[in-house]
Amino acid sequence: MSTHETEYPVWRRPVLEDESLEEQAEHLRRRHLLLDPRYPWDMNDDVLKPMYQTSRTFWVLFVALFGLVMMGVVTWGFQIYWGLGITGLNRPINWGLFLVNTVYFIGIGHAGTFISAALRVMKVEWRRPISRAAETVTLFALGAAALSIFMHLGRLWKAYWMLPYPNQRQLWPNFHSPLMWDFMAILTYLTGSVLFVYLGLLPDLAMARDHTRGWRHRFYSILALGWRGTEKEWAHLETTLNIFSYVIIPVMFSVHTIVSWDFAMALQPGWNSTIFGPYFIIGALYSGVAAVIIVMAIIRKGMRLQYFLRDEHFNGMAMFLLLLTFAWAYFYFNDYIAPWYHGEPAMKVIFDLFRRGWAAPLWFLMLFGNILLPAATLWQRRVRRSIPALVVIAIFVQIGMYLERYLIVPVFLGYNELPFSWGIFVPRAGVILTIAALAFVFLGYLVFSRFFPLIPAWEILEGQILQGLRRIGRALLPTRTDVH
Amino acid sequence: MANRSVLALYHEATSTADTIDRLRELGVPDESITVMSGIPYAPAILGRRPMYERLAPIALIGAVGGFLAALFLTVVTPHLYAIPVGGQPLVPGPPTIIIVFEFTMLGTLLATFGGLLAEIAFPAVGRHEYDFRITEGHIGVLAVVDESLVEQVESALSETGAHHLKVADTSPPRGPQTLKRLAFVGAFAAVPTIIGLLFAYALLVIPLPNQMVNQASIAYDQGPRLAAPAEAVPVQGSVLVAGVPASQPVAVTADSLQRGSILFTINCVQCHGPDGTGIGRMSGYFVPPPADLTSERVQALSDQQIFLVLTQGWGLMPSMAENLLPVDRWDVVNHVRSLQK
Repeated sequence: MSTHETEYPVWRRPVLEDESLEEQAEHLRRRHLLLDPRYPWDMNDDVLKPMYQTSRTFWVLFVALFGLVMMGVVTWGFQIYWGLGITGLNRPINWGLFLVNTVYFIGIGHAGTFISAALRVMKVEWRRPISRAAETVTLFALGAAALSIFMHLGRLWKAYWMLPYPNQRQLWPNFHSPLMWDFMAILTYLTGSVLFVYLGLLPDLAMARDHTRGWRHRFYSILALGWRGTEKEWAHLETTLNIFSYVIIPVMFSVHTIVSWDFAMALQPGWNSTIFGPYFIIGALYSGVAAVIIVMAIIRKGMRLQYFLRDEHFNGMAMFLLLLTFAWAYFYFNDYIAPWYHGEPAMKVIFDLFRRGWAAPLWFLMLFGNILLPAATLWQRRVRRSIPALVVIAIFVQIGMYLERYLIVPVFLGYNELPFSWGIFVPRAGVILTIAALAFVFLGYLVFSRFFPLIPAWEILEGQILQGLRRIGRALLPTRTDVH
Repeated sequence: MANRSVLALYHEATSTADTIDRLRELGVPDESITVMSGIPYAPAILGRRPMYERLAPIALIGAVGGFLAALFLTVVTPHLYAIPVGGQPLVPGPPTIIIVFEFTMLGTLLATFGGLLAEIAFPAVGRHEYDFRITEGHIGVLAVVDESLVEQVESALSETGAHHLKVADTSPPRGPQTLKRLAFVGAFAAVPTIIGLLFAYALLVIPLPNQMVNQASIAYDQGPRLAAPAEAVPVQGSVLVAGVPASQPVAVTADSLQRGSILFTINCVQCHGPDGTGIGRMSGYFVPPPADLTSERVQALSDQQIFLVLTQGWGLMPSMAENLLPVDRWDVVNHVRSLQK
């Protein structure tokens, strides 16, 4: 292979007349992944090698996460036997941690598809190396969300009664029920997300098939479905990805809107708001983008992907996060001020609770994590390019968004229109199951990362061929060729 | 007349495009030329005609299919399994829109994915001309040509800079092996489906310990009875209204009897009569008639039992809990006791 190196197209650099241009070119190369081409065979190795490495840290993590998941399985078994009471659910708080988790995980699941589909539609180039890492977050977060709903079911073994089929019970599910909206929205989104990840994976699976032996070769041969990269295959794949992008964005919006309707349709004080749909979507994207930043930092360090994930990608994600901070603050204020002005008695009690009651620490921590900290720091380029700082901010956003959902679900529910039934939620066994659900997401990601290339090699190679340098006056500037 | 396939590898797009031109000159039709690459090259780059694709109409068919499926589930089945709820439409509009939207999108996604697999004949089983170097950045040009042309094509490919050449017989058609595999996969999918259906139609039942049918239950007149739970409310002195202290019998004093008499006149005389004999203005309208409060049966009741009747009602008599506070009720109890004397 090495004999042909110089003939590979991206190796043909523009001829630069003087030294200052050389310096500029070198500077751009270091900064931008798409201007720093590698030979495809090297890139394939960079993508495939981390999949074979199972270091000691990997196994420690694997065992720890697996243990946590197993702990959750046992707790779930107890819960199925003894009933939902062991999770602290009782009147009036019939929705507890499981619903918080469902909303939280669906929220995280929003970013993956959004980054991938929306940035693809808008042809944003820095999406290329992070699109699959983000989509994979969607896969496992949605899995955890679906799991949380099943955890919330009493008489779990009757779950299949929701399916529409002629049966001996003479019962037919009511497709106008809000539970069905949820079920259909999540099903559509999960199906779309799985297929979307798989479609983007096809060429990389073929690449993995061509460069592995043994069981891995057989595994990838089956999954690659015989991909050869013919013009017909590429043209159809591109069209399919475009159709998917355009379809999956409205589906994504519908999912969290419907989740918000689960609350907004009820006459519960604090829930019956007309702004919940967009407010939840922004919140979902917000926590999702923060989650992707954390995951990017982890895989960059853990799988040594420093070549692929650079400052420019963290910078882009951080700017996205900053934008969402302001959007979220705007929606939160909207959702807050209207009930505050109404002065409905139950809402007065809740707002007092937030300002100086037992929920005040949670409320102020949420405001700090979601608004104050990101808005105060992310406008600095220095912060946006510092990965540790970004991770800290992203973790605070996660905490803030989780608390926001916690305040909405079990705290609001404890203060309804009937004061004699007010109560405070104590999560109990739900805490273990929450930790287990989180561990499930991490474990899924960990296992996925050893079987599937997390970096879309073909998308980066394509971007590197399409992007180049152009001299205008004294400056050397990156340009991009749009072939579509 | 046997066909041969010639596969050549190139480093980049320009020489590939030149090669395609050369092959055209040699009379190889465009359909017999396949370009394979590790990254997508637009047809214009390689000097090829744009591909005709049918994915958009397929997606549309999927959308229509999803739309119709949703209409079936939201409009047709509610009429088949009608559960009329007073004043509510059988098919409410806005929720129907939500389900129709989701199904339409799901149909679009599934049809597009299925359409992709069908259009590019996936999964492709059997032998296809291919070279693993294609996923290493090389571009492969595969030409299926007549045997007589092979030498000319080979030399043309070498001239345009092919660094690797492979000639082979054209791929044999799919064998019965494929069918066998498909049958195996089908059987693999059918088994869990059938097992699932057996459960769904209750032909197989797992006796789970917390099925309600199997829980220990004691009929009304059977023993032994379970002890009352610790937090159960006793009949005497119950807290019936939050914030009002537990009710205690009120001592029989002149004040209490006077209050009881006034409250009795307001609340009870309509039916029980001014002297409590059960002959009031309304008593003729009730079967059985209101109780004679002076009778031995009533007077044999304990104070607490009379209090409970006032609180909860008895037979046709409504509960007085809304009209009388617990203390008031005790005054009325004292008054009822005094009626016989």
